[in-house]
Amino acid sequence: MYIIVVGGGIVGYGIGLELQMMPGHEVTIIERDTSRAAELRDELGEMVVAGDGSEVAFLEQVGAGRADLLITVTADDSANLVACQVAKHRFGVKRTIARVNDPRNEELFRLLGVDSTVSAAQAVMAQIETTLPEHTVVPLMSLTGSGLKVVDLHLQEGAPAAGRLLRDLRLPEQTLISLVVDEDGPRVPDGDTVLHIGDEVIAVIPVDAEESMRELITGRPESG
Amino acid sequence: MKVVIMGCGRVGASVAARLSEEGHHVAIIDTNQYAFDRLPADFRGRRTVGSGTDHRLLEEVGIREADAFIALASGDNRNLLASQRAKHIFGVPTVVIRVKDPLRSELFEELGLRTFSPTKIGADLAYGALFPDLSIGNEA
Repeated sequence: MYIIVVGGGIVGYGIGLELQMMPGHEVTIIERDTSRAAELRDELGEMVVAGDGSEVAFLEQVGAGRADLLITVTADDSANLVACQVAKHRFGVKRTIARVNDPRNEELFRLLGVDSTVSAAQAVMAQIETTLPEHTVVPLMSLTGSGLKVVDLHLQEGAPAAGRLLRDLRLPEQTLISLVVDEDGPRVPDGDTVLHIGDEVIAVIPVDAEESMRELITGRPESG
Repeated sequence: MKVVIMGCGRVGASVAARLSEEGHHVAIIDTNQYAFDRLPADFRGRRTVGSGTDHRLLEEVGIREADAFIALASGDNRNLLASQRAKHIFGVPTVVIRVKDPLRSELFEELGLRTFSPTKIGADLAYGALFPDLSIGNEA
């Protein structure tokens, strides 16, 4: 696979180190600052190039046309967004992943066709939320291109889903309850499984089904 | 018309002054407070210090009610991010973006945005001045 990484900061450097250990991949790391690029080159070698990763002409030079994946990890969201858009729309790069520094940019990135977004805030919040007893629906990961995501659900007092057979629940289409965790530990449910207040549930749901799932496990349409 | 302008450089200040003089409601944003010194003393619009790429700041200056958004900050990428937010998230009907890099300008034009490249316009004008018979760059 040919992978282009835009941004040679601490994140880009870390990705470079990891990818170096995985044989069979060709990697280019683009760093705008020439002295930082030289520094990285000492450690990572030829894969590091100095240039502007959001510039059409430069991406062409590094062979973006045959790249399978482009990852943008600079600290500047606008550079990350534009590099992904140029890669996708000018060079037909199949998959783009962007670091999002400001969580409020996430919606925009998704809307504009960036395949995956990664933000520190999002990752840390998911960790925090799953440990709170009052959490309801916490997104764990999205399954690229499928329109599905994996969520962590926590059954609240008054949940319409509690005390009923799984097969009798009116779940959104394409929903799969994969794992139920109660005081006895985790188990894979079947149609005869009954959910209880306090149960933790890992489910695959359509991306737009979060609200109906929330209602099912809290009895309330909005999170409280 | 209600117009939000990002970037109070020479171009931004000049467009803002003209629109304001014609009676339009103008809100102008710049990260540098001294940039507003370029506006004429009688400018009646609103000046806000901050970044046009900031979601909340755009809301504060009334982007939801704006008829037009003009991105004239110095960085192409910042202009592109802010403009796409204005268009796709806030639904501003008219969005105009300065993109210095001609290739980037062309690409985003193809993606349905209204861009112009001062680099290309300048090059065309300079070239056209040498060969006045060829009306290059004079389409407008």
